[in-house]
Amino acid sequence: MNRFFTLLKIEGKLSLRGMDMIIFALCLPVVVVVILGFIYSDAPVFLAQSFGAISTIAICAGGIMGLPLVIADYRQKKILKRYKVTPTKPILLLAVQLTIYALYALLSLFLIFIVAFLFFDMSLTGSWSLFLITYLLVMCSLFSIGIMVGGIAPNSKIASIIASILYFPMLLFSGATIPYEIMPTNLQKIAHILPLTHGIKLLKAVSLNQPIETTGIIIMIICLIICSGIALKFFRWE
Amino acid sequence: MTKTIDVSGLSKSYAGNKIIDRLSLTVASGEIYGLLGANGAGKSTTIECLLGTKQADAGTIRILGLDPYKDRQQLFEQVGVQFQEAHYPQQIKVKELCEETACLYQDAANYQTLLRQFALIEKANALVSDLSGGQRQKLFILLALLAKPKVLFLDELTTGLDPKARRDIWQSIQELKRHGLTIFLSSHFMDEVETLCDRISILKNGRLSFTGTIPEAIAQSPYDNFEESYLWFIGEEIR
Repeated sequence: MNRFFTLLKIEGKLSLRGMDMIIFALCLPVVVVVILGFIYSDAPVFLAQSFGAISTIAICAGGIMGLPLVIADYRQKKILKRYKVTPTKPILLLAVQLTIYALYALLSLFLIFIVAFLFFDMSLTGSWSLFLITYLLVMCSLFSIGIMVGGIAPNSKIASIIASILYFPMLLFSGATIPYEIMPTNLQKIAHILPLTHGIKLLKAVSLNQPIETTGIIIMIICLIICSGIALKFFRWE
Repeated sequence: MTKTIDVSGLSKSYAGNKIIDRLSLTVASGEIYGLLGANGAGKSTTIECLLGTKQADAGTIRILGLDPYKDRQQLFEQVGVQFQEAHYPQQIKVKELCEETACLYQDAANYQTLLRQFALIEKANALVSDLSGGQRQKLFILLALLAKPKVLFLDELTTGLDPKARRDIWQSIQELKRHGLTIFLSSHFMDEVETLCDRISILKNGRLSFTGTIPEAIAQSPYDNFEESYLWFIGEEIR
């Protein structure tokens, strides 16, 4: 366990030094909350409606961008291979990276809640524990996509291209930044293919104490099973 | 003689091509052993099979009596490895890389002491990428020593280094030998091999064309210096 925390500490520092996650997972969601907070300053209920969506920005940045890039990079630099000639296994390093991105997501969730709650009078009617469980489900589901992409992409360059192709449409069209409701119907249809769209619908329903669509939960679980299955079967350590 | 490394009948093919063909070798405890051969002769594959990062098709490999594939966890508590190219995350500092590597072992050496020994202590807070080639190579030997190893594998020890840095590294290696370490290295430089190695093997097309000491290699060839003898053994002599 000591091993894990030493690696977590150092890899965490390296990640902070990289700045990308600070910008895209911690600052960007807060900025979005502030902007929407000012726009809806008369009716905080609208901010509450977007809260679930904004909370997934960090999941997306870590799972779809951060994870595949770091996995492909560490494989290409043969860092994963180096772990094979030590008493531990390269999967330890993978577990450390997963933890780092999960921590970013949780920290981001905490930050946007504090900002929305303190400065913009937002209140959520749904259950917090249910929200957290749903959040973790969406996180696992999207992280599995990232592990799959990082695990099977032949090199960092291709990993980064695939990650961008997945990341930007998801960020823009699944409702994480632009509300799904204001999109034209055709765009909504496209958005419907993206797993994150369903994740956001779930989070929204839970946070506003509305009935949950079971299809959403099933899609999240299917995505998790398929992507982790592919990753387990085809993961390349070198 | 205790056999620290004992390989017999090692074979490995890729896509029907035999890269290594029934290779056998032994390395005695406390010896510096050099594996030589042209590019593509099978050096890297041999080392990878020895370390268990590639599984051999046939043959047995024992390092300190352990199977590197099956007993890897136990074995790599006592074996240090420096790969041909240095592998490290971007933006990692020297001491961070040391700490990260040290934590992988149950009983790791003190990296501060080693940094002092290798004259790298002032660089502890520098980025690994900012080190000179020689300093980085020393750092990677140091990382291999964090395991407090009984056996050290060094792949292409001084490729790409200037003469001063190479001599520095040779000194460090000889110092390690005085402490009783068994060292298995691969190299392209005959002066390096002559300075360091007690015994050598020369690989040609996946088989050993010579095993023995350097004076023996010279004696068995029609030449009177080691470099020409080596070229003769790999079949590339200058006409």
